[in-house]
Amino acid sequence: MTGRKRLWGWLADAALILYFVFALFPIAWMAILSLKPADQLFSTYFSFTPTLDAYRTVLGDSEGIPFVRFFVNSLVVSVGAVALSLVVGLPAAYASARWRFKGSENLMFTLLSFRFAPELTVIIPLFVLYQKLGLFDTYVGMVWVLQLITLPLIVWIMRSYFADLTPELEQAALLDGYTRKQAFFRVALPLVKPGIAAVSLLAFIFAWNNFVFPLILTSSQAQTVTVGALSFLGGDRPKYNLTAAAALVSVVPPLLLALTIQRYLVRGLSFGAVKS
Amino acid sequence: MPPTTSLKETDHGAASHEEGTRQVRAVPRWRRGLRPYLLIVPALLLTGGILYPFGLGLYYTLFDFSASKPQPDMVGFENYRTVFTQEAFWNSAWVTTLYAVGAAAAETVLGVGVALLLHRSTRVGRVLEKILILPLMIAPVIAAIMWKLMLQPSVGVVNHLLEPFGLGGVQWTNTPTGALLSSIAVDVWVYTPFVAVLALAGLRSLPVSPFEAAAVDGAGWWYTFRRLTLPMLWPYVLVAVIFRFMDSLKVFDIIYALTEGGPGDSTVVLQIRAYLEAIRFQRYSFGISYTVVLWAVVYLAATVLVRRLGKIQRRAAEVTE
Amino acid sequence: MSVSDTLNASARPAAIALRGIHKAYGRRTALDGLELDVAEGEFFCLLGPSGAGKTTTLKTVAGLEQPDSGTVELDGTDMAGVEPYDRGVAMCFESYALYPHRSAYDNLASPLRSPRHRLPASEARDRVGAIAELLGISALLDRPVGALSNGQRQRIALGRVLVRPARAFLLDEPLSHLDAKLRQSMRAELKAIGAVRRTTTLYVTHDSVEALALGDRIGVIRDGRIVQSGTREEIWYRPRDTEVARAFGRPRINLLPGTITDDGRFCAVDGAFELPVAARTAAGTEVLAGVRPRDLALGGEGHELTGTVYVTEVLGRAVEVTVRLGTQHVSLVVPRADATHLRPDDPVRLTVRPENLLLFEADRPERPGRRIGQ
Repeated sequence: MTGRKRLWGWLADAALILYFVFALFPIAWMAILSLKPADQLFSTYFSFTPTLDAYRTVLGDSEGIPFVRFFVNSLVVSVGAVALSLVVGLPAAYASARWRFKGSENLMFTLLSFRFAPELTVIIPLFVLYQKLGLFDTYVGMVWVLQLITLPLIVWIMRSYFADLTPELEQAALLDGYTRKQAFFRVALPLVKPGIAAVSLLAFIFAWNNFVFPLILTSSQAQTVTVGALSFLGGDRPKYNLTAAAALVSVVPPLLLALTIQRYLVRGLSFGAVKS
Repeated sequence: MPPTTSLKETDHGAASHEEGTRQVRAVPRWRRGLRPYLLIVPALLLTGGILYPFGLGLYYTLFDFSASKPQPDMVGFENYRTVFTQEAFWNSAWVTTLYAVGAAAAETVLGVGVALLLHRSTRVGRVLEKILILPLMIAPVIAAIMWKLMLQPSVGVVNHLLEPFGLGGVQWTNTPTGALLSSIAVDVWVYTPFVAVLALAGLRSLPVSPFEAAAVDGAGWWYTFRRLTLPMLWPYVLVAVIFRFMDSLKVFDIIYALTEGGPGDSTVVLQIRAYLEAIRFQRYSFGISYTVVLWAVVYLAATVLVRRLGKIQRRAAEVTE
Repeated sequence: MSVSDTLNASARPAAIALRGIHKAYGRRTALDGLELDVAEGEFFCLLGPSGAGKTTTLKTVAGLEQPDSGTVELDGTDMAGVEPYDRGVAMCFESYALYPHRSAYDNLASPLRSPRHRLPASEARDRVGAIAELLGISALLDRPVGALSNGQRQRIALGRVLVRPARAFLLDEPLSHLDAKLRQSMRAELKAIGAVRRTTTLYVTHDSVEALALGDRIGVIRDGRIVQSGTREEIWYRPRDTEVARAFGRPRINLLPGTITDDGRFCAVDGAFELPVAARTAAGTEVLAGVRPRDLALGGEGHELTGTVYVTEVLGRAVEVTVRLGTQHVSLVVPRADATHLRPDDPVRLTVRPENLLLFEADRPERPGRRIGQ
């Protein structure tokens, strides 16, 4: 009985390890590819002479692809989009968690529908519109369109955090002699700070990882790493080691941030539908 | 007694009279009602900024607007008629359905499986759980690039690893079926952790008492799983499935980077078709019509699935009781 | 009656006056035409079961809830539209509502840092120190509130109310989460605090013992209305209906069903006994005769009843004796010495003074029976 049980335990662990090999191998393989010298790309698999040439090339912009600029662009538009969504979304999330008022649910569900709308429905008209307005290939244009991703996320998640907070704390502050604004800033806001941090990072990751917006709405000035990494695959002779290096560099920020917000991830990924 | 001295004492009877004489300011009812609206005004403006192009897009679909015709004419519903009579549309709809159903099903089975294995909380499991979400945090387009390099038929590492088993030389993305399956595989690679994370949260929040009761009754693993775990876990899983199914209906990044819709038309899902029409061929109105149709499909799917979710949540609540 | 009459007649307006307050949440009515007067400096207990509208009443006074109709007056001033921070009232929440991210000291000092009640830092420190001393929590001030016990939190919450000047204290079940022993000692302490003695206090509780012990006056609230308000004596001796009568006193008041006879006496349903009541009601009316267990005696002066002992139960120094009168049971509380010889089925002679008898209409499904005699 116990022997059979232990066997099942081993099999279960083995299955788990098998899945994680599947999950992690591509990342490991990218690391290997990115360290290969160009002349060993197609002639070797696991034994080669490692070199950082690919990284030097990618980060040195020497292939005519300004990757560092793309990286900075990603940073600017993602941070900008999250900041705008926070400034605009926090009051809205607070209002809809604290008051019942006409139109509140309409706004919330309109925002939720953005999460599931096919991006191109909005982007193609924006592509035309941005050309007219001069927003094509600009930071402002990107920050605007990224609201489609960051705003619903931030409003929905923060609403669930505010709703979890008993209104009596703010009421106590009102009776202590504070105004509503002070009650919000002194009591409500500090208490949802972990939520704000987590949702901001998650929104940043999603903004960073977006591909279709910069693909269509930027060309060179405001292009981001996701589009940039793909461009290493273009051209007559694809440079696999450069592509791998670019891919790895572009996933470093989201991966690092993701590991710091694991605890809060479930609520964020499910738009507040599941809390852990 | 002056108020300052009275405050220093434990009692402050005098100060309380001070309260009564203070001038108070009344806020009229309508201004109080206005408060939440003031807070959502910025969000409303921004939402409008997103709804405007959407509305503009809908409007465009009634014209024959394209790069070659910047002064478009009103054509009514002609664009939609063309969409629905085009064989390319039905092909895309079919491919999209296969992709969405295949990816969502595979991710659900695999994700719930991984969650169940991780829920055992063995030493191996606890270590692996920390890195579970890594693929999910990688941009799908980057994931597709990674897999594209690995699936390269002649020099890719996957065929190299399969060679000893006599399976080398598979034309992964170069055959219609292979291309679709490869795309689904990338989707599964990225999003299985999504299902697993939600299912694991669900497993961890299940009440303990029904399981204890079942153990006391001597119920077997399979019976417990079928009769208790699954029905109670199902609402969590279904949230994940809804997200995954609706997201894969509008897949774009993975296919764009992995196959660009090829070979032939074999992986041209609806958003790729819309992209090709609107951006490649610059037939804006026609391309948007495609996305509007897709939007309607997603909306319908969402309504049906969310209603189903409500039903299943009620049933799960009954099991818990 | 008499106290509130003199209050209304006096020149000074009530410290807290609620007039015809209606408040509904969706389809559920919380307050249904609530009327309430609390006099300057009075300690007023609002007693009622959960869901009766007690907390809503407090929050309406505080301005945290807006009534759908009706007016709230503080010291004679209509408070419609006046913000909570402009009303000058302090409130202790049932949940305590302490700021979990702050230390005990910061919680206590919070009002003194607000724009309304700001004191210079050094004065605030002295004041918080004095309040902490008064409540015996000086040693806890540096701790985060998460590290405090329920009793300690309760004191912090009370301290946050007492630390600042207020024209009224609103206390929402402040003792309900404490264990029985602590509750009893805090009850005594609360009334002894000078600020509480002097300041108008509206105190909400579901515990009738607490209400009787603390309240200068008591208001009984049910289904969003004040059923009766008055001094403890009025509530005790002149309950408005059977439910108020049942709410006070343990063991509960005996309510014996019967009818009024032609000569105006009370006759039990089974005809086993009669009681001399001053009935102002027609013969044949179905009624309930009320007598409190402590108003029945074994022997002594008064109207006599004979029955048999059913069961006895020791309650500390007294004994609760349940006596069978025909098919009905009545309970009485007698000194232990008088009951030691009693065994089940022993015949006993009970006496009751006619002035201690209450007469109610029979309870109806839609409302408890009103008091119609004495």
